[in-house]
Amino acid sequence: MTVLGASGSGKSTLLRVIAGLEPADAGRVLIDGADQARVEPSRRGVAMVFQSFALFPHLDVRRNIAFGLRARSAPGELIAERVRETAAALGLTELLTRRPGELSGGERQRVALARALAARPRVLLLDEPLSNLDAQLRVSTRNEIRRVQKQTAVTALHVTHDQVEALALGHRVAVMRDGRVEQVGTPDEVWERPANAWVARFIGTPPMNILPSGEAFRAEHASCAVDADGAYTFAFAERVGAERYWHLHLGDTEVVVRAPADEDVPERGTRISVTVVPGRVRRFDP
Amino acid sequence: MSERRQLGLMLAPYVVGALLLFVVPAAYSIALALTDADLLTPSRFVGTANFEELAFDDPIVPGVLWRSALFVVIAVPLRLAVATTLALMLHARARGVHAGRTFAFLPSVIPDAAWAMVWLFLLNPVYGPVNWLLGLLGIAPVSWFSNGTAAFFAIVLMLAFTVGEAFIVALAARQELPRELYAVARLEGARPWFVLRTVTLPLMAPVLTLLAVRDVAVSLQATFTATYLLTDGGPDRATLFLPIYSFDMGFELLRYGYASAMMLLGFLGCLALALAQFGLVRRWRLGVTR
Repeated sequence: MTVLGASGSGKSTLLRVIAGLEPADAGRVLIDGADQARVEPSRRGVAMVFQSFALFPHLDVRRNIAFGLRARSAPGELIAERVRETAAALGLTELLTRRPGELSGGERQRVALARALAARPRVLLLDEPLSNLDAQLRVSTRNEIRRVQKQTAVTALHVTHDQVEALALGHRVAVMRDGRVEQVGTPDEVWERPANAWVARFIGTPPMNILPSGEAFRAEHASCAVDADGAYTFAFAERVGAERYWHLHLGDTEVVVRAPADEDVPERGTRISVTVVPGRVRRFDP
Repeated sequence: MSERRQLGLMLAPYVVGALLLFVVPAAYSIALALTDADLLTPSRFVGTANFEELAFDDPIVPGVLWRSALFVVIAVPLRLAVATTLALMLHARARGVHAGRTFAFLPSVIPDAAWAMVWLFLLNPVYGPVNWLLGLLGIAPVSWFSNGTAAFFAIVLMLAFTVGEAFIVALAARQELPRELYAVARLEGARPWFVLRTVTLPLMAPVLTLLAVRDVAVSLQATFTATYLLTDGGPDRATLFLPIYSFDMGFELLRYGYASAMMLLGFLGCLALALAQFGLVRRWRLGVTR
């Protein structure tokens, strides 16, 4: 499950409440159906990966991974075994004697993940785990997180402000705004059937087009063509990744539509008509 | 005016001050140490005679050095422990924490002489509150200034409270530690003692070591006012540390040359200790920052 929201929307606070690091003003935290209100953070079976990784700089990788087990006075053999297993699962076996200062960003991220998993939590909380990594590393680490999550079958709650990350990783996505959840659904549901106009505008680059009439559609679900009777006027063309988009105007409303394949870029102000794929139009109260 | 010149001008008063108040006197005292200066008669160059006397002929010196070393070994860890404990107790935001920090720092702003007078009262064998407290615990009154061991520990005790600067530094060091490390410790169920041992103290170690280095020199010098005003090195030399002994030698017996040699010895001792401790810190290579 991923939690998606802009900064300041309360995503991290939500994680800290679930972990028990902060008290909830209202509502309940249920883990496996049991209310956690009176349960110590350490007895909730949650582990957390922080944005900053929060590794202990003076401890080597082995001791970082073993920290939770040592803190709980686990027997030495168990600690050794778990460290070995977890390190192997995350490809850290060669790095066990290094200190965090001697590791790359991606390696630190894997150590943080290993430390969280070593104690076999019921819930893994990930607070913006990828935002301290550069773009390339982000994709590979994202896949790594997905693989480890599948392998360990741990329930993971992944908080991020990056919608690509949220939609790519989550089986379900919760979209948060100002401390409230606006929509919970599968990535496809959130993408194709936003619960309200705010979610529609928040998800997607470019975001969903919403016409003054309340009709809404995504750029890739519409086609457009130069048409002297068209209701839209052409503003400019833009390339985003593999796609090219035309920015159009309908009165004061800006509308973005996928560009026709073989059409030359028209003059500014050219009349354009837009056709939306049937069944792809959503309607919000204007 | 160029930036370099501005900086130079701003630095100038301190350079002049350091030269006049530190470098020149230090050089002068090195020169003095090679003479039999008494500041009354013309001094004569005596070569290393003062150092030879210090090393071989003065029967009091071995005791003074041993006592000074013992004092450092007891007082520095104690002072550091007090400063660190206070810092850890007073770092979190809580009711009364600001008042607590003020009280922790307060003894350090009291002038040394006034502080000594306070302890003269506190440790008074007849009506002093310390003996009264000990009495409540069923301990017989201690004659703090006539029993040698008691006098030694009286000095240790009164200097265990003037740790304001170390306290501030330790407090800052503790507050620099990332909060998320403590969130991890909490989620993993680490007991306070475990956190202190495996997280807080190791991460503060570089700062604490620097404080220890500094405190060797500070605490040794700080004995001067206390011993001068309260015990005069007594009873029976039990509190005769290097600063008070060299003071007596110079200003009571007017043997400035010999006293200078002694201070030089103290300086070199502190320097050697500081270098040794620095070496240790560098070997650890503990970095709090990433």
